[in-house]
Amino acid sequence: MHVAITGADLLTCHGGTDATFAALAKGVDGSQDLRFYDTDRINVTRGYHVDDTADDEEELPLRAGRWLARCVLGAVRQAGVDPAAERVSVIVGTGLRELRAMERWAVDGVPVRRRDLHFTTAVREVLPEVTEVITVSNACSASGHALALAQDLLAAGEADAVVAAGCDAMSESMLTMIGRVADAPTPALRPFQEGRAGVLLGEGAVAVVLRRAADAGPGALATVLATGLSCDAHHETAPDVGGIVEAMRDAHRRAEVTPHDIGLVLAHGTGTALNDPTEAAALDTVFAGAAPGPLVTGIKGAIGHTSGSAALMSLLVAAWAMRSGSVPATAGLAEPIEAAAGLRLVIGEPAPCDARVAQVNAFGFGGVNAVSVIGVDR
Amino acid sequence: MNPGEVTVTAHTLHVPDPIGGSVATAARDLFSSVAPEPACGPDQAHTVLGRKGLLFKEDATRLALCAVHRAFGLPPGKLTEPLPGAEHTAVVVSSNVGNARTVRDIVAGMRAGSAHDVSPLNGPNASSNVIASTLAIRYGFTGPNLMVCSGATSGLDAVRLGALLLRGERARRVVVVGVEPDDEVARGLAALRPAVPGTTVPVPLRAAAACVVLEPGGAGPRLGTVRRHTRPDDIAGDLAPPAALRLTAPGAPGAGGGIDLTPHLGEVYGALGVVQLAVAAAWLDSGQASGPGGALITCGDGEDGYASVRLDPADVPALAGGG
Repeated sequence: MHVAITGADLLTCHGGTDATFAALAKGVDGSQDLRFYDTDRINVTRGYHVDDTADDEEELPLRAGRWLARCVLGAVRQAGVDPAAERVSVIVGTGLRELRAMERWAVDGVPVRRRDLHFTTAVREVLPEVTEVITVSNACSASGHALALAQDLLAAGEADAVVAAGCDAMSESMLTMIGRVADAPTPALRPFQEGRAGVLLGEGAVAVVLRRAADAGPGALATVLATGLSCDAHHETAPDVGGIVEAMRDAHRRAEVTPHDIGLVLAHGTGTALNDPTEAAALDTVFAGAAPGPLVTGIKGAIGHTSGSAALMSLLVAAWAMRSGSVPATAGLAEPIEAAAGLRLVIGEPAPCDARVAQVNAFGFGGVNAVSVIGVDR
Repeated sequence: MNPGEVTVTAHTLHVPDPIGGSVATAARDLFSSVAPEPACGPDQAHTVLGRKGLLFKEDATRLALCAVHRAFGLPPGKLTEPLPGAEHTAVVVSSNVGNARTVRDIVAGMRAGSAHDVSPLNGPNASSNVIASTLAIRYGFTGPNLMVCSGATSGLDAVRLGALLLRGERARRVVVVGVEPDDEVARGLAALRPAVPGTTVPVPLRAAAACVVLEPGGAGPRLGTVRRHTRPDDIAGDLAPPAALRLTAPGAPGAGGGIDLTPHLGEVYGALGVVQLAVAAAWLDSGQASGPGGALITCGDGEDGYASVRLDPADVPALAGGG
């Protein structure tokens, strides 16, 4: 059963939806020097902060929840949904929850409430009448998982509308583990680029309102055909071609599309040594025989790896690119790796595009994969 | 058997150290009737799992592994190949503070020196889904893999999403686990919460794990639809038929009484809904039930709201909504 996206909102280092799409169209790298952390010790110096703090201000508490609340409210208003009048579920996908608040409490003594680690309170403060808020902590594919569950809830008749959302602020612990495995701080996030140095974290939030397509009426932003899910069951941090291929094929099977139908792929494209060749190999496998294959682009060079938000942010960019007929270039990419030679990567300038069906990739630590297929009417 | 029904086909409780001790209460009597043997703690997990593969595994991950290992009746040691049916098996884990101590330790270790003073083997534990992915890797479960960190309703949220994965034909079997540790960071966080109304001293936190295996149309008790509600006894119509066993949310006995497990177990937070479901399934399987009516369980608190579900015996026509 297809579901329609009837409202959406996002927030990145560039600002809201329009500012983010404008920056993507120009290929602007939104990274900055990191704030709030001892970058010498942590061995990470750059990132893509949401700009919510003046230069002379301290780090605000519970930033991820603030951004989430703003985006959920924005999406619900755009969709015209009234949680007092119908059953509205909210599923939040996040990689790092509010672990930043827990870190500051445990190490710096900054007060926190235990309930602030998950997002029920943050959402209910702006939408007290929603039926439920469920926080799914599924690493860097979390909002793709939230989208899959949202569609399943609608198909099962357990909700009238579902908000699928994502949010993440950086955490000091995750930055530390990124710095731990880097020889020198990564200067820039460059997906599929020869000699790329690694990943940089982004921040932000995203929300979409979903309804059964039959209930949605005209004017939907896009239709979600299906999301495929799989787990590599292979390695705690390294991706696996087989598991990723399975998620893509599951998505196509559920969406009832073939690789020939897909004109655009929003890649996960993290700029790490392992992800990019693995993802390229999986795309080569799945799109073999579908020459010339879809256009492929990625957004993390422009907005960073936004972790739990990444899947839905890529999805909104895919919908916007298909509606506008122009696919943004992969920010940070000039010379692709050999492993990506078979991909039609968009490099340098935006590419014209008449695709009506797009695939959105998201893969997370622990081998958790979510691949979505969406369509637009043009 | 109706293939559209979700059934509980296996269940285990793995609670190392309940607070209740020998004091006779309804909660203790019920719990010890379904889990008479004490479970090993995380530092003794090798007695269930074998010694390999436990390095840098957090307490919550170890307890979750023990619960799953026992649910499948496996001997100690690593499997040489995936469990039968593993490729169509999903994993859904509920835990709120499973990796809190590791996250604290990583930051403290870095602040005391640099990122290079932190062990890279702790890296996976910085990601909150480490418990769910570790279960998948150990047993070869390649179906969807979900980590639910939803607060006090998290246990039944995980059960609900597990059932949804079956109804959506995303898996043929779902391993649902609820688990929390009781390390010093988890205890510190627990001390921040308000006391349950009518009490002054919060129930102490205790480590606990439980596993329930969900399959469509199996021979076990039948799971109803999980409902969320804002007051502890505000039960929707399809949950209302009288239940022979009523397990209530902590500190919130319903109008008709019922058993709150936490005075015996301790506060088990995100594990509770799964623990309650495993207790109810074991109770139904034990033949203690007399007359019609299965179990009705509720978890949650005043901050996160409440979730409830029925579990009915295999041989009675469905009273609960099957979804």
